[in-house]
Amino acid sequence: MLQFLLSGIAIGSIYGLIGMALAISFYVTRIINFAQGQLMMVTVMITAELVSSGYPVWLAAAAGLVSSCIIGILSYLIAVRPILLSNRFSFGWLVSTLGFAVIVENAAAYIWSPTSQAFPPILNNISVPIGSAVLTGQQLLAIVTAAILAAGFEIVRRYTLFGKLGMATAADPEMASAIGANTTVVAIIAFAVSAAFAGIAGLLIGPTTFANPYLGDTFGTYGFIAMMIGGGTERPIAAMFGGLVLGICAEGANGLINSQASDWFPFIVLVVILIVSPKGLFSASNPLFRPRRPAAASR
Amino acid sequence: MNEQSSPVLEISSLSAGYGRFDVVRDIGLSVGKGEAVALLGPNGAGKTTVLRAIMGLVKQRRGLIRIGSTDVSDLPTHRIARGLAAIAPEGRRLFFDQSVEDNLLLGALHLRHDRPRAERLLSSVYDLFPVLRNYRHRLSSFLSGGEQQMVAIGRMLMSDPQIMLLDEPSVALSPVAVDIVVKAMLELRKRGASLLLVEQRIDVATRVCDRLYVMAHGEIVEEMTPETVRSGGMSILSKYLG
Repeated sequence: MLQFLLSGIAIGSIYGLIGMALAISFYVTRIINFAQGQLMMVTVMITAELVSSGYPVWLAAAAGLVSSCIIGILSYLIAVRPILLSNRFSFGWLVSTLGFAVIVENAAAYIWSPTSQAFPPILNNISVPIGSAVLTGQQLLAIVTAAILAAGFEIVRRYTLFGKLGMATAADPEMASAIGANTTVVAIIAFAVSAAFAGIAGLLIGPTTFANPYLGDTFGTYGFIAMMIGGGTERPIAAMFGGLVLGICAEGANGLINSQASDWFPFIVLVVILIVSPKGLFSASNPLFRPRRPAAASR
Repeated sequence: MNEQSSPVLEISSLSAGYGRFDVVRDIGLSVGKGEAVALLGPNGAGKTTVLRAIMGLVKQRRGLIRIGSTDVSDLPTHRIARGLAAIAPEGRRLFFDQSVEDNLLLGALHLRHDRPRAERLLSSVYDLFPVLRNYRHRLSSFLSGGEQQMVAIGRMLMSDPQIMLLDEPSVALSPVAVDIVVKAMLELRKRGASLLLVEQRIDVATRVCDRLYVMAHGEIVEEMTPETVRSGGMSILSKYLG
């Protein structure tokens, strides 16, 4: 049981990072970037390519992350901004971000061929015993990295001027521009940060999945489920908690039902959770997490 | 406008609206330095659209809008908001998931590299509305309507703008809160601020302002002073305001 739990937390951390990636861009712009999984794939493919060409892993990983960020920004400038400029309330981005995802995915398959390629093991060949369970060094790295990034993001969001500006833009973009915020720049930064989160998830899962141009489909979907389960549409860190729930459910289903159960069980979990708590388990509107009104005294 | 004062805000031949429809047509008005001017009119007259056009929040606008020596007709909103104009909008539109002080400090966004000036402005807002100092760490969503209006006015002050735009600051407030807001506007006038106030309440406009423009059907139809309103102009206003 401990093994399922720890493995679930490890893979859930990856789902949570992709869920947060989706949630960060949605939080600021109210746009779901359906190319988020493909941005993760870009980091994986570029890293694998550069390592196979003889570059050190850290340099290849950095180049992979920068590439994802650039393509993330392009996804906003090409697939989102023109649509919002013509009509702020249009849902055209649903199709355009999907189209962007298809283009990136097929370009990757054309460049690197549709088959999987080697990915550097990073810490995947190290075993870490925890009680009666065993995690790979890579899994442990995923958990620690996800925890640091989720906490770091929340600290930036709540305690820095840029984070507060992001919150203001999320709450009322027109009023944010009326206090001097360049909301286009804020949106571009949000898309770049999202892409970086997705790319880091790619680096953490790459040693397990290897480098494949179609990696983004599966992980993009799981990231979306993580965001919806957690309630990441209201606050991005909830997507991380959603990812952990999803990971534990998927690993538990694999172990307790059958080895293919993780393909369908999370969707059942998603439907049940959305019926019980439509805005997600950890959303700000959940009574458990809603801020309390202070007492009327202290004037 | 005082004869000796130069206009802080000058608008001529302004038409603005949404889609293919002009809400306001051929508007001309000015606000002098240290002057307070009201835009009066019934619902739908186009008063809010004039304020939104000044802030660059209406995409479709034609004509000249000058603030100080800067032509802002084609400037994006975030550039206008950096010390040229600031707005306390209708409905307050605070950032409700943030504290009172965060709302105020966001108003001074363009002064983020000039911390002493931002601190001075924050202190002056707390002097104007002492109750906000006690509530500075409270979420703005937990304030009463009157307190929220104080934060909206404070946020506007924080950018230290050349012209302050206030959109119906008295609407939906208790008589006590209206009095506080009016006194705050009078205090701002003492400090030398230039105000353009959109109002439906004639008593508020005449207490605060030097001049009043009356709008109807998207056009300015009358220009009056508080004195002319008191000495018989009320019947003219009633014709438009009902």
